[in-house]
Amino acid sequence: MDSTTPAAAGGFEPRITAFVCNWCTYTGADLAGTSRLQMASNVRIIRLPCTGRIDPMFITKAFERGADGIIVSGCHPADCHYNAGNYHARRRFAIFRELMDFLGVAPGRITFSWVSASEGAKWRDVVNDAVTRVRALGPFTAYRNMVVVQATAPLSTAAADHSPPEHGGGGEGLRMQSLAAAGVDSGATKEVQA
Amino acid sequence: MTELRELARRLLSEGTVNAVLGWEEGPRGARPAFVTTPDGADRLIFDHRCVHNLASYLSPRRPHLKRLGKVAMVLKPCDARAVAGLIRETQVPRENIVLIGVRCGGVVTDPDSDAALSEATVADRCRGCPDREGRLADHTVGTAGPGFPGPSHRAQKIEELAAKPADQRWAFWQEELSKCVRCHACRQVCPMCFCDRCLADKTQPRWIESSPHARGNMAWHVARAMHLAGRCVDCGECERVCPQGIPLGLITRKIASVVAERYDFRPSDDPAVPAPVGTYRMDDPQEFIL
Amino acid sequence: MSTTTFIRTEDLKGLVADLRAAGVGVAGPARTSDGAVDYRSINAFDDVVLDAQPRNSLKQFFLPPTEPLFKYQRKGSDVAILEISATFPPRVIVGARPCDAAAVDVLDHVMNWDYKDEPWFGRREATTIVSFACPGGDRSCFCTAVGLGPDATRGSDLLLVPAGDGYYVEVVTEKGKRLVDAYPKRFGAGAGVDATLSYREKARASVEGHVPARPDVIRQWVQEHFEDPFWADISLRCHGCGGCAAACPTCHCFDIVDEPETLDAGTRRRNWDTCQTSVFTAHASGHNPRADQCGRCRQRVNHKFAIYPARFNDILCTGCGRCARTCPAGQDVTEILTRIVAMATGQGGAA
Repeated sequence: MDSTTPAAAGGFEPRITAFVCNWCTYTGADLAGTSRLQMASNVRIIRLPCTGRIDPMFITKAFERGADGIIVSGCHPADCHYNAGNYHARRRFAIFRELMDFLGVAPGRITFSWVSASEGAKWRDVVNDAVTRVRALGPFTAYRNMVVVQATAPLSTAAADHSPPEHGGGGEGLRMQSLAAAGVDSGATKEVQA
Repeated sequence: MTELRELARRLLSEGTVNAVLGWEEGPRGARPAFVTTPDGADRLIFDHRCVHNLASYLSPRRPHLKRLGKVAMVLKPCDARAVAGLIRETQVPRENIVLIGVRCGGVVTDPDSDAALSEATVADRCRGCPDREGRLADHTVGTAGPGFPGPSHRAQKIEELAAKPADQRWAFWQEELSKCVRCHACRQVCPMCFCDRCLADKTQPRWIESSPHARGNMAWHVARAMHLAGRCVDCGECERVCPQGIPLGLITRKIASVVAERYDFRPSDDPAVPAPVGTYRMDDPQEFIL
Repeated sequence: MSTTTFIRTEDLKGLVADLRAAGVGVAGPARTSDGAVDYRSINAFDDVVLDAQPRNSLKQFFLPPTEPLFKYQRKGSDVAILEISATFPPRVIVGARPCDAAAVDVLDHVMNWDYKDEPWFGRREATTIVSFACPGGDRSCFCTAVGLGPDATRGSDLLLVPAGDGYYVEVVTEKGKRLVDAYPKRFGAGAGVDATLSYREKARASVEGHVPARPDVIRQWVQEHFEDPFWADISLRCHGCGGCAAACPTCHCFDIVDEPETLDAGTRRRNWDTCQTSVFTAHASGHNPRADQCGRCRQRVNHKFAIYPARFNDILCTGCGRCARTCPAGQDVTEILTRIVAMATGQGGAA
């Protein structure tokens, strides 16, 4: 099956988040683009200075927020712009991969690669390979649907710039912060820590 | 025990240390003791119920303990690996502590247990213990028991889980981790969890949701396993203290076996041996990388 | 309410079966996969384990470890608050220990204090608690020292005490009476209260004396000795792990969090929290009034034995002993309270 075309009937297209290093893989992916190489379009790239910067929590957060698969890609050994970031990443992700497998996350969902700035074609292959594999595994609903909370009815609407709203409806017993005080208008969540 | 008490008495009366951290008889079995007077040394005990890893009391993040000043600590050879870890990561200056090594023959799992130490009652982590003599100590007391050979029950359970398809492992861990109420007792007792501000308490951004639901619990236990990779000494305290009975020892042991297999590293009581995460070799295996 | 009745063991099994058949949820002490006993959902009375105090308490049935309160959805400068319908289907807890039933009643004060906690009372109203008089405790139990006992009825709707071929039943509340009236075939005549006396006495004897029954003395000493070095002494071994709070039937502090699911929408939840963690009293300024374990250990005893009594005339502890059993460092509440009484009455108490 041509991995550049979406699946027939059923039509599940996986969402892949790729964490890539700026100096090698990001540039390689850019080269793939300027070379007009055809590849699956399921990947959203997040650029980091180095694979050594990638924290395993980025991956868990991506799965929480709807990713079906992950790609982590950086410079080949000896090519790291920061000398050793990819070596640290190599150890970290070797362990992470085995941990996730142990916890029951199919290893096919997470792809690791070294793609250099000149390897546009390799990036295309890595992407197509990952998309094919994750498509076959299906949506990762098991992870993102670990917690599902259904709302049943609107309780109230309140404009963020007004003074504390009346809270009507079933929750009358609950004391609620004014939405303005909660910083909703500025879009910031309140930091509770020192 | 007399040897231990005499040594403690001497260290305290000579003013070499302000306190001796060891074990005493408490209302519910053996428990950590903080002896600050020479007479108090008579409280010190050591037997197979002395399960606790006292190294967590050395953390610099415990101001109420730092106030004690220079201390002596009684440690089993496995506890010594944790102390070595703290020294290795520059949390405790070696010259600030006097270490009293105790030769050990194994411990049970419950410090309140009446049962004698036996094949049936020994803690799983004691099986196949490589070192009952201990080397990271200024003084060594006691006699080593014969110890218990493997195999470890946990290793068997891990093999069973590994043989199952991924979705069955997922179901197993979803059920176990659903019990977690995020009390963080596992973190608090761990000698290697000494961060002033734990990642789990940080909110900008929130990498680990604080709610004890499946998603938050998964993030927490993944983070903890990764942060302890190569640093955990398998003292078993996390599993012992969990009020919900989650088999955390399966995760710690699995990670330890990955680190041992890939990087030929086992927890060491020599602070000079570098930790495997934070170091690297040019020829590290990378068969999983495309 | 002082009616009594009787239920044969066979009829008790039948009662549970009847409840399950009627779609009523039933929970009770039962074995877990790791060999412990927890209060959990059960399907049959045969699953119930009565000879061990459950590791957990009834708290989770009324205050879940995590509970969604509402969802929010932002649209431009407006925010919609979306209700999460909270329905509380009827359920029965069979096999509650009196210390655990009493704890739920003790918490009603704070849950109806500055505002009425609707989810708490919704669950309270939907739940019938059938307690079993405790066969006796271990050395960490001290229910009699806090005004309760192995056969206390506080917080229970029915109290069952083993007698003859079943259980002598004390119908404590209207709700308990409704349960009896709904299943009249299961209850009837049987052994009287005399048949329960030796069981009760034996149980009482097993817990009496572990802590001097002087809550008034404890309260006064704690109130007057805020800076006493005693607190520094007992806090040395405490890891601040919060295991005591998780296991405790009366610890009820919670944290409110907003969890975004997307940039514009999410859920507000309340989660169990504990004063034993270092961040519990951390201020945004950086100051922390309980900066080390000394203050936090003191807070636990202070809240339970001085502050709550001052506010509600009730002790925030039912003497179940779980904190002592679960503490990884051997901290023991019976020891702490006994030492406080000794210091207060001038009978020494230093370690």
